[in-house]
Amino acid sequence: MDRNAQARRRRMLWRGVESALLLLVLFLILFPILWMALTAFKRPVDLFDLTVFFTPTLDNFRTIFAHPWNIGQTFLNSLVVAGLTVLVSIPASTLAAYAFSRFEMPFKGALFFTILATQFIPAVVVVLPFYLLFRDLGLLDTHLALVVVNLAIVTPFAVWMLKGFLDAVPTESEEAAMVDGATRLRVIIDIVVPMVWPGVVVTAVFCFILTWNEFLFALILTRDDAVTLPVGITRFRTERGDLWELIAAAGILISIPMFFLSSVIQRHFVRGMTGGAVK
Amino acid sequence: MRDRWLKYVLILPAALLVMGTTIWPLGVSLVTSFRDWRLTRSLTPGPFIGVEHYLIALTDDPDFANAAKVTAIFTLVDVAVTVVSALGLALLLRRAGVLHSVTRAVLILPFAVSPALVGISFRFMFNAEMGVFTWMAGAIIPWLKGFVWLADPVAALLVLMFSDAWRWVPYMTLVVLGGLAALPKEPEEAARIDGATEWQVLRDVTIPALLPVLAVVAILKTVFALKMFDQVVTLTGGGPGQSTVTLAHLVFSIAFRWYDMGYASAVAWILTALLVFLAVWYMKLILRKPGGH
Repeated sequence: MDRNAQARRRRMLWRGVESALLLLVLFLILFPILWMALTAFKRPVDLFDLTVFFTPTLDNFRTIFAHPWNIGQTFLNSLVVAGLTVLVSIPASTLAAYAFSRFEMPFKGALFFTILATQFIPAVVVVLPFYLLFRDLGLLDTHLALVVVNLAIVTPFAVWMLKGFLDAVPTESEEAAMVDGATRLRVIIDIVVPMVWPGVVVTAVFCFILTWNEFLFALILTRDDAVTLPVGITRFRTERGDLWELIAAAGILISIPMFFLSSVIQRHFVRGMTGGAVK
Repeated sequence: MRDRWLKYVLILPAALLVMGTTIWPLGVSLVTSFRDWRLTRSLTPGPFIGVEHYLIALTDDPDFANAAKVTAIFTLVDVAVTVVSALGLALLLRRAGVLHSVTRAVLILPFAVSPALVGISFRFMFNAEMGVFTWMAGAIIPWLKGFVWLADPVAALLVLMFSDAWRWVPYMTLVVLGGLAALPKEPEEAARIDGATEWQVLRDVTIPALLPVLAVVAILKTVFALKMFDQVVTLTGGGPGQSTVTLAHLVFSIAFRWYDMGYASAVAWILTALLVFLAVWYMKLILRKPGGH
């Protein structure tokens, strides 16, 4: 009996420690997000007080949408660049992933391996030649330039993720349709794509998030016209000082859509990154 | 069968995209790394000078030596912290409970935040006058009151690591949780029936079974730590002095502040060689696994 009571007390103690640890983790994860969210509604004078009680204002949001910041245009740039990148990359990646999933071919392993290995290349080595090329072509500071380089990050990811989804789709209905005389292309469009559609959407969202948050390419290749949000927020660090309340407001603008998208695809998020190695 | 040709046609668009956007620039960078080319002197590439850039970087450039040291320290600490914290947190979150499910639900949030924004937010929160973290540290440890984190070489690197861990540890916890969910229950239960304590089950059964997943976490994190760039720009700017300049940031400075394309390409290629080596290792690890793609 005495031993049981001791064990129970030890378990209670451990429960308490566990709860305390989890509360600490929750605090560490959420606090920076909540603090930046609060800051977005503060007047500059309230910044120094570190208070959570203040008169909230929407002025910061009004300011960043007005001249000279025009964050609306920056938001639009991000939308166009991420959208176009996904639109080009996903169809091409789906076709390639299908071929990798269904067919045998010489050098298949080596080819697939090469596509995957490109993910490990540092962006900074890719951007040097592109910077020089776009400078010669007069394409610096354009959406097109950003879309092209972002394809470098997104396409290998997309092929990898989509192959995982396609491998999980059974092949019987494809074979049945082929026996009935349908061509392979018809089969892909009419049967495979509808079946793997959730996977396509998840991959597209994943690639959209990657492109939306991309910083290095945008920093080097854009100046005024094509600046995207991650570079846009650095503009609030001016010669007159850092405008933290505006940074926070712009930070909300860039993060909210991504919080929403990432929560929607959370379960697949991990798989996309580790390529099915972790199930 | 027409499939014989079709499969190549299907692969062609993606293969062209990858060739055009990564293989081509890699090749151009490699060639450029053997040439003398400063944009301040000439708009066209200069003469070939062999491996001189590589020799300078590896033997005679204090900036490179410094960036290599910073990157190595950052990577080692970052990977160790990430693997240990993600494993510990995943084991805590394994059980059912309200706090557990709330925590699991928010794990994805930090990863959705743009790294550039993470950097600038932490810069604000570690600000000397109005940084909330600066204030908290001072409130908990009086000795730290008024400490200017980003002006101290060691502290600035710690803040950089902290900001990176904030973004990555929750995400990697999700990865480890995925690995835990896939483990068969029987070995753990059998060990318990045999009278093993929880600690022994963990040490002798659970963690050994998780090793492949932990290896994936470690290698992925190594790769991303070696490429560290965004937060260096927005959080510390490489400073104070050069105490937080990583290799990727050094390449950026050589290329776009000093406009030395040849030397920048060489340093970029040293980093690339390291990463490709890790990539091969990583692929072998996950392609070998049955069920892995």
